Amino acid sequence: MKSNFFGQTILWLFALIVIVPLGWTLLNAFKVNADLLTPVPKLFFSPTLENMAYVLGRDSVFAALINSLIVCLSAVAIGLALGLPGAYAIARHPNRITKEIQFFVLSLRFLPPVAVAIPLMVIWLNLGIYDTRIGMIIAYSLITISITMWLGIPSFVSVPREVEEAARIDGYGPYAVFFWVALPVAGKSLLGALAFSFILVWNEFLLALMLTTADAKTLPIIASEMSQMGMNVPWGVLNAAVVLLSLPPLMLLGLLSGFLNRAFAQKTR
Amino acid sequence: MRIRNTLPYTFLVPTVLLLIVLAFTPLIYAVMVSFTDRTLFEPTSSWVGFENYSKLLGDRRFVSSAWVSLKWEVVTVSATMLLAVGLGVLMFETASRRQRAFFSLVFLVPVLLPRVCAAFVWKFAFHPLYGIITFPYRAITGRPLDVLSDPNSALLAVAFVDVWQWGFFFAVIVLKLLESLPPQPIEAARLDNAKPWEIHFYITLPMLKAPLVSLALVKAIESLRSFDLIYVMTRGGPGIATETLDMYAFSQGFIESGNIAYASAIAVIMLIATIVIFTVIWKRVNR
Repeated sequence: MKSNFFGQTILWLFALIVIVPLGWTLLNAFKVNADLLTPVPKLFFSPTLENMAYVLGRDSVFAALINSLIVCLSAVAIGLALGLPGAYAIARHPNRITKEIQFFVLSLRFLPPVAVAIPLMVIWLNLGIYDTRIGMIIAYSLITISITMWLGIPSFVSVPREVEEAARIDGYGPYAVFFWVALPVAGKSLLGALAFSFILVWNEFLLALMLTTADAKTLPIIASEMSQMGMNVPWGVLNAAVVLLSLPPLMLLGLLSGFLNRAFAQKTR
Repeated sequence: MRIRNTLPYTFLVPTVLLLIVLAFTPLIYAVMVSFTDRTLFEPTSSWVGFENYSKLLGDRRFVSSAWVSLKWEVVTVSATMLLAVGLGVLMFETASRRQRAFFSLVFLVPVLLPRVCAAFVWKFAFHPLYGIITFPYRAITGRPLDVLSDPNSALLAVAFVDVWQWGFFFAVIVLKLLESLPPQPIEAARLDNAKPWEIHFYITLPMLKAPLVSLALVKAIESLRSFDLIYVMTRGGPGIATETLDMYAFSQGFIESGNIAYASAIAVIMLIATIVIFTVIWKRVNR
């Protein structure tokens, strides 16, 4: 009983290491600089919406939001259209070739991002798609296709073969089986895989930093630039930007935790 | 007669072709540029052979950044795995089912944050004058504590943020792995009065060796993506204390001299090193 109490205390301490900095950032987003820059951290203050209004009111933020949404959603859609069929084919035809393909897809993640970003920048300059949304979508597709394939394979493997065979006896062709049986049955896990790929590109920084300068900047770039405005770092504004930028991934928290639970529940069976 | 199923071909060939084009074009291009004297400002360039590479060997900043990258990998991977196993076992031993669900959600949050955001959250928490983490030190000693400007602690402070993002996430995975084990060996050991740490050290963790090694490998791969954290928190500073290879390549290619050829040579060396190392390890682990 005693060791249990001790363990519980440590567990809560760790939870606090996660919660306190995040909660603090949330509070700071609603503080004026005088409340923020105090030697003794201030827990009670009169909240202001100034920081949020400032961030949301900036044209650069709005433009970057549009860029981020278009680029990320397009890349995720491309990942879905090309990655899921590929994942299904690998899941249903396990042999030497598909095993090699599976490893190739994974090994794309081994590539150091700089090694892709530097040459892509030069190539995009030559092609005239540097600092455009198209250029960013193409670059991000490499990420979304591979991650969707990689996470989609186990989801399709877990679709019972009997279900597919029953459909085939009913006269479904192989393509119809994919669209009308495998996709809906694996649907929930696939949604988790897509959420993962969205978060990866939404949070992506290095490629965006190197492939854009003005027109196609995404939100993480704008957020990082806010620390360079003027001599004094506007911490309140920065905290507000951090909170707003983190919201979309956090909204997918439930979906992802469900994805993890399912992934490990399958292993037990 | 069986009709040959065309599905694997139509589903795989276009995707794989596209991935090959998307991945190999930049890589081949990087190799080609690394043999020239191409800069950011002049489109013309000439072939210089291995000059960039021989210059790298004598470049002390390159050697330093390679060393920083190696330290970064070792520190972040080992600390992440230690936190993940320790915290995972702790949850398994002491948390009720509802608590596990709660902690699993909380511990998933840091990894979902954009790296830029995590970096800012902690940069302000580490602020020498106003940070909430440095507050106890200030209150006791009356002096500011500047972890990010001290060459001895800067890399560790940034590594801490990386471990904060990944360690808690992996702890949730370790918990799920422990839950997926058959309960009989654990119960048998309990009946024999084995202490909890004995049960995990001698029974459950050896049973989970394969997935844990895979997890460490995934972390090693993800640790290569340190750029955003370091860029926001220290920019490679103080001096070059936290300058990793990708940071150095970036500053050579874009900030200081616009020397794209030199930056490409650094990138190519990183590329070869990581592909060789990770391919060998991955194939060995998943044999």
